Amino acid sequence: MSSASERAGGAGSAVAGLLALSVWIAAAQPTPAATGTEAPPRSVPAKTTIGPVPGADNRAPTADNPLRGDDGVLRDGRRLFVLMNCAGCHGGRAGGGMGPSLRDEVWLYGDDDAQIFDSIAQGRANGMPAWGTQLPEREIWKLVTYIRSLRTPQEPDAPRN
Amino acid sequence: MDQAVRPRTTSFRRFCGYMAVTAIVALWGCQKQEATPPESRHQTHAVPGQVPRVQLIAPLPQGEWHLPTGDYANTRFSPLDQITTTNVDQLKVVTTMSTGLNRGHEGSPLVVGDTMYVVTPYPNNLIAVDLSQPGGAMKWLYEPRPDPRAVGIACCDVVNRGASYADGKIVYNTLDAHTVAVDALTGKEVWRTRVGNIEIGETVTMAPLVIKDKVIVGNSGGELGVRGWILALDLKTGEEAWRAYNTGPDEDVRIGPDFKPFYDKDRGQDLGEKTWPGDQWQLGGSTVWGWISYDPEQDLIFYGTGNPGVWNADLRIGDNKWSVSIIARRLEDGMAKWAYQISAHDAWDYDEIMENVLVDMEFGGRMRKLLIHPGRTGFVFVLDRETGELLSAEKFQPVNWAHGYDLKTGKPDEDPSKRTGYGKVVRNICPSSTGAKEFNPSAFSPRTGLLYIPAHNTCMDYEGIEANYIAGTPYLGADVRMYPGPGGYQGELMAWDPVKAKPVWSVKEKDFPLYSGVLATGGDVVFYGTMDGWFKAVDARNGAELWRFKTGSGIIGNPMTYLGPNGKQYVAVYAGIGGWMGAVAFPSVSADDPYAALGVVGAMKEIKKHTAPGGMLYVFGF
Repeated sequence: MSSASERAGGAGSAVAGLLALSVWIAAAQPTPAATGTEAPPRSVPAKTTIGPVPGADNRAPTADNPLRGDDGVLRDGRRLFVLMNCAGCHGGRAGGGMGPSLRDEVWLYGDDDAQIFDSIAQGRANGMPAWGTQLPEREIWKLVTYIRSLRTPQEPDAPRN
Repeated sequence: MDQAVRPRTTSFRRFCGYMAVTAIVALWGCQKQEATPPESRHQTHAVPGQVPRVQLIAPLPQGEWHLPTGDYANTRFSPLDQITTTNVDQLKVVTTMSTGLNRGHEGSPLVVGDTMYVVTPYPNNLIAVDLSQPGGAMKWLYEPRPDPRAVGIACCDVVNRGASYADGKIVYNTLDAHTVAVDALTGKEVWRTRVGNIEIGETVTMAPLVIKDKVIVGNSGGELGVRGWILALDLKTGEEAWRAYNTGPDEDVRIGPDFKPFYDKDRGQDLGEKTWPGDQWQLGGSTVWGWISYDPEQDLIFYGTGNPGVWNADLRIGDNKWSVSIIARRLEDGMAKWAYQISAHDAWDYDEIMENVLVDMEFGGRMRKLLIHPGRTGFVFVLDRETGELLSAEKFQPVNWAHGYDLKTGKPDEDPSKRTGYGKVVRNICPSSTGAKEFNPSAFSPRTGLLYIPAHNTCMDYEGIEANYIAGTPYLGADVRMYPGPGGYQGELMAWDPVKAKPVWSVKEKDFPLYSGVLATGGDVVFYGTMDGWFKAVDARNGAELWRFKTGSGIIGNPMTYLGPNGKQYVAVYAGIGGWMGAVAFPSVSADDPYAALGVVGAMKEIKKHTAPGGMLYVFGF
C-alpha cells in the first residue's frame, strides 16, 4: 500500500519543515535520499587501506585530514553527527548502541583520520551506510575531526555524568 | 482435572486432540483424525486449585510448549506441578547448550514431542534438540542467513522473541523482515515470505502467533520512521492473507462499519491519517514488536502498538493514532473491532506493545471478560475485551507523567510539566522510555488470580531536538538520558491483583530492571531471571525466594516448562545479556556516554561489572 516512493514523498514534507530549523546547514547538506531525488554520486577518494599491504613496498596510500587541528569545525562536526543520524546509531555522545562506540579504544577499521574518513564514506559491514554518496568530502572531514575530539577537552557538547 | 502429573503419553494424546492433525503428528503415532474444536472451556481450561472467580479462556500448554506466549491468552501459566514450592530447591542443571552468539537472547524455546526448538538472535538460526538423548543432542540446524544489513537498522540489539509451532512447522521471523516456516521433523524450509523492507528500516523481532491457519506478524522499526503494521500469512503457503497498518486512512488500518471504539476520543473517520501533520503518518511508527493474544470465543486478536515516529512530539502535532494503543481485530480478515489509545500524542517513547493477558474474572461484582495490560506507561490497564472499556488503570511503579486515568473519558490526567518538546530539557520524568515494564512478559496464575509483573523503575531527562528523515537510519529527534528511579531499586517482581488493582507482594531487585519474562506453574512456583544472571524461583503466594542459580550471562529470556520424554518436569531459560538496556553490557557500548544506546547507559552503566555477553540454553530438572 505504501511504496517506497510514496513514503519518500511523506518524508520530504516532514523533512522540509525540519530543515528550515537548521537553515545554516542546508547549504552544505546534500538532499537526503528520503526526499526522493537522487543525490549526485560524489567522488569518494580512496584514502587508505584496512588490511596489510602485500609486497615489498608496503606503504599504504595516505591522505591528510585538511581540517586536522581546526577546532573551529568541531561544532559543525557535532551538528552533522546529530543531523545525519550518526547519533541515533552510535549514541548521543558517540558511546554506541545500534552501532559501535566511537569513544573507546577499539577501531575496527583503523584509527587514522583517513581510515575513519573511509569508514564514513564507504560504509562498513553490518549496516554502516556509505555516506560518500550523501556528503561532500569536507563535511566528512568535519565528522572525522569531531570524532577525533571525543574524550578530549575540545569535545563539543561533552556528556555530563 | 489433574493432567499435570500424567505421564507424557497422556498429555501427548491430548495435544493430538487439540491440534489439526498433521503429517508430523501422524508420524509420531497419533491416530489420524479431523481437526477437533477446542473442548468446552470448563472442561479444558480448569486447573486444580483454581480460584473460583477466575476462568481461563484458552487451552494451557500440557507438557509441551507450542506458542511463544505459552497459550493464546498470554498467561504463561503451566499446570505442571511436579516442581513445587517444597522441592524446587532440589533443581539442578540437566542440560546446557551454547548458541555461539553474543547478542541478547530474548524469547523462549518451544517443545514439541521429544524435541526442543531454539531460535537464536541474528543470524536467527533454528536449532532442534533431541530431548531423548543424554544432555540433549542436536538433531539439526536450520540457518536462514538473513541479510546482514539488517543488523545496522535494529534499534535495540538484534534480538528475536521466539517461534510458534503448528501444522508440523516451526514458524518464526528473521531480522531482515522475513517470516520462515521450517519442517519440524527435517529442518527443511517449507516457505519464506518477505514481509517488510530493510531499506526503509523495517526489521521483525517479534514472535509470530499461529492461530488456526494464520500466522500473525508485526514489524519493528519505530526508531527509524517506519509505518507500523500487523499482518496474517497463510500457514500452509506463507501467502499474505491480510495486512493492517496502524497509521493512515481507515482503509489501510482496516477500519470499517464494525469498528466500535468505546470512547469518543477514539471515534472518527480516518483518524490514523487526520491526527498527524501532513504525511507524517507515513513515518509514524506505531509498530507491533510485542505479543499477540487471541480469544477463541470472540475470534479476535489483541495487540499493542509502539511509539509514534518521530520521538520529538512537537514534530507531529496531533493525537498520532494509532500509536500507543491496544487494538482488537478479527482473526479472519484483520478488520478492527475496537481500539483504545492509551496515550495520545506520546512525548516519551512509551511503546505499549506489552502482553495483553486475557482472562475472565469477577470484577465489580460480576464475571467480566478482561484484558489485562501491564503498561510501559506505568499503569496496569484492565479493559473489557468485548468493548474496549477501561475498567481500571492504576500505577504500579513511580509515575509522574500522569496522575491517573479518567475511566469515563479513557484519558490520562497528565502533568503538563512533564510533557516534552522541542528545545527544552524536561527533567525527572518517570518512568523512562524503557517504561515501568518492557516487552518481557508477565505471567498469570489461575491458582492465585495474580499477575506476576517484571517491573522497571527508571526515570529520565528528555530533550526534543531536530530530526532528519533519511531512510534506513534512526529517526529520533530526542536526546535522552535515563537513570535509576526513586526508592533505591531498579527492578521489581510484583504479584499484582488485577481486580483490587494493587500489589499483594513484591520482590525488589536493587541493581537492574527486570528484563526477563515470568513463568507461573501449577506447583505455585514463579520463575524469573535477572540481568546479572540469577535465575530465581519464588513462592507464587508470598514471593519468598525458594531457589536461585547463577547463569553464565544476564537473563532477558522467558522461562518455560515442559515434560521430558521421561514424563518428568523441566524448566528451561536462555541466558545471554542484550536487548535495549542489556546492550550496555556489550564491549561496543561505552559506559561514559549516558546518552548512548538511546539513553539507557545512564541507568545501566554498572552492568559491565556484573555480567558479559554469551548465549546459552539452560535446562533444569531433578
